[in-house]
Amino acid sequence: MRLSLAAREKVFAAALLTPSLLFVAVFAFYPILYSVYLSLHRIVLGLPSLGRPFIGLDNYRQLLGDGIALHSLLNTLVFVFTTTFFEILLGLVIALVIHQRFRGRGMVRAAILVPWAIPTVVSSQMWRFLFNDKYGLLNYALFRSDTGAYIAWLAHPATAFGAIVVADVWKTSSFAGLLILAGLQLIPDELYHAAKIDGASPWQRFRKITLPLIKPAVLIALLFRTMDAFRVFDLVFVMTQGGPADSTNVLQFYGYKKIFAEGMMGYGSTISVFVFIISLIISLFYIRVMGMRLFREG
Amino acid sequence: MNTRRDHCIITIFHFGRPFVAMALLLVVLAFTTGCTRKETGEGTTIHFVTWKPNIPGVQEEIIGLFESEHPGITVVREIGPHSSTSFHDLLTQKLKNRSKDVDVFLMDVIWPPEFAAAGWALPLDELFPLSEREQFLEGTILANTYQDRIYGVPLFVDSGILYYRKDLLEKYNFQPPETWQAMVEQAQVIVAGESKEGSGLYGFSGQFKQYEGLVCDMMEYILSNGGEILNSETGKSGLVDEPALEAVDFVRRHIIGAAAPRGALTYQEPESLDLFVQGKAVFHRNWPYAWRISNDPGKSRIAGKVGIAKLPRFEGHASYATLGGWQAGISSHSKNREAAWAFVKFLTGERAQKIFALRGGRAPTRKALYGDAEILESYPHFRDMKEVFLTAYPRPGTPLYPAVSNVLQRYFSKAISSPGLDLEKEAREASQEIDRIIALGQ
Repeated sequence: MRLSLAAREKVFAAALLTPSLLFVAVFAFYPILYSVYLSLHRIVLGLPSLGRPFIGLDNYRQLLGDGIALHSLLNTLVFVFTTTFFEILLGLVIALVIHQRFRGRGMVRAAILVPWAIPTVVSSQMWRFLFNDKYGLLNYALFRSDTGAYIAWLAHPATAFGAIVVADVWKTSSFAGLLILAGLQLIPDELYHAAKIDGASPWQRFRKITLPLIKPAVLIALLFRTMDAFRVFDLVFVMTQGGPADSTNVLQFYGYKKIFAEGMMGYGSTISVFVFIISLIISLFYIRVMGMRLFREG
Repeated sequence: MNTRRDHCIITIFHFGRPFVAMALLLVVLAFTTGCTRKETGEGTTIHFVTWKPNIPGVQEEIIGLFESEHPGITVVREIGPHSSTSFHDLLTQKLKNRSKDVDVFLMDVIWPPEFAAAGWALPLDELFPLSEREQFLEGTILANTYQDRIYGVPLFVDSGILYYRKDLLEKYNFQPPETWQAMVEQAQVIVAGESKEGSGLYGFSGQFKQYEGLVCDMMEYILSNGGEILNSETGKSGLVDEPALEAVDFVRRHIIGAAAPRGALTYQEPESLDLFVQGKAVFHRNWPYAWRISNDPGKSRIAGKVGIAKLPRFEGHASYATLGGWQAGISSHSKNREAAWAFVKFLTGERAQKIFALRGGRAPTRKALYGDAEILESYPHFRDMKEVFLTAYPRPGTPLYPAVSNVLQRYFSKAISSPGLDLEKEAREASQEIDRIIALGQ
């Protein structure tokens, strides 16, 4: 029996897809499902005598009434909005600058990616030193030898939160810039020539040509940045440990504390599942918006 | 063993295809290394999980001595992170997964109840009889006891100590302060007097970041005001009681941003010690290890000008020092219990503790060593510190301590960093949270 060409193509496609599907199943689906399973049980590592009773949605009910979790959710959301806003804005500026032709452009393009290439743990440590109250570079730059005026940036709730936002924006703006640059490079020069001939000002060209055409790239950058910012962990871990006064406690850090420090496997997994659900909603939203746009253009 | 290894190698040739062979080779490698590991003579290998020490070479020296005395036993050191919290995360992962790479491990003073209840630490009652336990400082034995069984052997002890600038106190004719109020007043006078010379001097430095150390420091204020964190009988939180509220209020009004810089809210031990050894703090709260560093001219600007005293107290109450320190425990999944115990016994024995004291500056847990001439010659302050260690008191002993500690850290950090906060309301909320956690275990 011979298969038709289309059928053979299907078999071939399935064969090619199987390895990556398997990979995703083992390393993504299984952990997620297992987390969901754990989140429906009461498991406390320090108390094995409790067993692992199934408690249905009790953990989720507890989460909704957990003031600290809701506070850290609020912190996380504020962090997501402020960092993505500044990252996209700065990313756009970076992309526009490195899209221009000038001498040493290759060097600048490479240099601008350096912050993004540094592991977050390392750059967080660096920022912790920069914000230090006694020998931090920031205090020195602002107040020089007037040590009495030095500010303990990480000791005030508002400035500590600002500090982790700054560290994140510094680190990932260039990544947003890179994605937007890819969008910029797709715009044909003819459009600008034509607009120029029609007498459009630089601002009009930017508003009517550049912005609309880089929208898909900006959306992709937004998607990546929101999802990433939502899962912020290492910055907080290194710079503040959630303090002072719990002002920099974010959901992922709270979940980490629950699982690894307190041994609350069930409740900690509930927090992880919660973070997963929110990330899923965000990405579905973006995919819908972006998907429609891409199809229309395709 | 050899036959198995040959068998392993032969299997490779059955599979002609290089690709499959390569994959198999990895499996085989795992097998054969397994074979060779067991082939190291007739002896036993035990795995000792420890953190990265402050002073290198001391652990190696003690392990070397042990191995030369016990030729049949090889000790493999597994070195974990330096911070207690990260070390806890690593070690509990290993123990939870019943790792075979853990025979002997170090435990922070607050872990034994958790490790005992979780079934990770082996009960040592038969190996470590009462007569032997009497040789140790009482508080350290208490910290290793959970529901009348003992789970660890104390290795060295830590407790909060007040360090002060001998030269400055003499200059202003002060005696080391007995009470917290006196300390704050002395600090004010000295800072005011010295600031004319533009020194950038502060009155006090301690550990007030949102982390475990914050609980240690705050407990010293609360308990030296007659308050308590957890009632030892009812197991209920004591945060809402008047003495506790008063002590917390004292810290937020007279310590943070007053005697101590506001930046102390970001200090763990190293940062706070740094301020002191730079000559920028009159008083300093730390563990015993700070003595060696603050008197080391290579690391300290105030070497030779440092005094130590019992921590201050509040009027009408007794001084209180939080007990810290480390213990050696044995994994309940260890296959080499005898060798593991031999090592624990050696590690916590008089000879090894003396090396830890002389070379590492660690305060011994064996009472007898506080009369040892050689130790007292290098560390004359150990004589005075024995009294502190005898009164040092462990943090609440519950298998859920880490969860309780997180609530405490959050509450204390909030309380001392926001002057306008309604303390009573926050304390009540934290208490409810703590009571809810404690109830989980009942």
